[in-house]
Amino acid sequence: MKSIRSLVVAMTISMLPLVLVAGAQAKEFGLGQKAPMSDVKMKNATGEDVSIAGAAGKKGTLVIFICNHCPWVKAWQGRIASIGNAAVEHGVGVIAINSNDPGAYPEDGFDEMKERAQSVGYKFPYVVDATSEVGRAFGATHTPEAYLFDAKGKLVYHGAIDDNAREPDQVQHRWLNEAVDAVAAGKGVPTAETKALGCSIKLREKTSS
Amino acid sequence: MRRRRYDPGMTRVLRGLGPLLLLLVGLAGIESCGSKSAVSTSRTSAPEDTTPPVIAVLPSEIPELVASRGGVTLVNAWATWCDPCREEFPALLSVARAHARDVRLVLVSTDFPDQVSAVRKFLTSHGVTDTTYMKTGDDMSFINALSPKWTGALPASFVFDAKGRLVEFWEGRSDSSRFDAAINHALAARTPAKESAP
Repeated sequence: MKSIRSLVVAMTISMLPLVLVAGAQAKEFGLGQKAPMSDVKMKNATGEDVSIAGAAGKKGTLVIFICNHCPWVKAWQGRIASIGNAAVEHGVGVIAINSNDPGAYPEDGFDEMKERAQSVGYKFPYVVDATSEVGRAFGATHTPEAYLFDAKGKLVYHGAIDDNAREPDQVQHRWLNEAVDAVAAGKGVPTAETKALGCSIKLREKTSS
Repeated sequence: MRRRRYDPGMTRVLRGLGPLLLLLVGLAGIESCGSKSAVSTSRTSAPEDTTPPVIAVLPSEIPELVASRGGVTLVNAWATWCDPCREEFPALLSVARAHARDVRLVLVSTDFPDQVSAVRKFLTSHGVTDTTYMKTGDDMSFINALSPKWTGALPASFVFDAKGRLVEFWEGRSDSSRFDAAINHALAARTPAKESAP
């Protein structure tokens, strides 16, 4: 009996790392999951505090990590404004988040964000992730990087705006546009995950708590 | 593998040609057989600097580019406007040069096609004279050709061992110790491969 108990204890201990790894993987944010840190208030370029939950629409929510300095964001920002503004009109809430450390990229400072939001014509919040913790929780690595949630709050699209940053007239696949249209219509998205090159997000150092 | 060189009047260059031969071919204004430049450069403008050689690479050409040539291949995807890319460049070159006998450095610029002059200028400022590459074609195919785990963030580094297997990959800026450790890891894996070779 003692040997059986020892065996059980040994097996439990030996399997513990697997359980821990599985647990860690389960926490990793991805398709089908809800937005992390959705109640965290972030300062909008227009001055007020906004959270992801606060920006959510009835039909869905688009969270898009952008910044000011990145050439890829600059190349896409007109389309980001166009898709985002249309999404809001169709019941899909939009929030653009800047998680970059302006210490690394001065062009990504708050004053510069205010100017950019106005000049590009973002009719949705463009907020500062002041600790970069929201970007960290999403696992966002580069800008621009889009996360689209459906009416139930589940992630249904993650990735790029489209397949051609520099030449809008040469775009073959309007991934984000199609995904937003599908979510606004209560349908499944045609493509769930895509990729494009972009600028690494320079997250602020983790604050000790 | 067909290559499109980002030089007016010279669109195909085989890797491994010496600088002198490259210059002679360039002066002769040889056009490739049917290959086309991915960059629109004016043919009426004054001759521009064409060194170091920058060759366009399609996603479909990535496997051949990283295929084993008997040593370790270190691929670095970068861009001139990317701060962390520029910051890590000296360390990258320093480590690659220290391992020059065993390691082939493949620099792939992801700048936009009309920025090839800036690419050359940057490379020249760092003493790069060897052939380098410039990504062309769609992003997603390019990203996945190097590693499906790559999110597309720059810079990104990839270490392929002597068998052409990806043994290390990471995103973001690195220092000398990171590059050095990755190369040593790949070199350590090379020994058994050599021993088992026919």
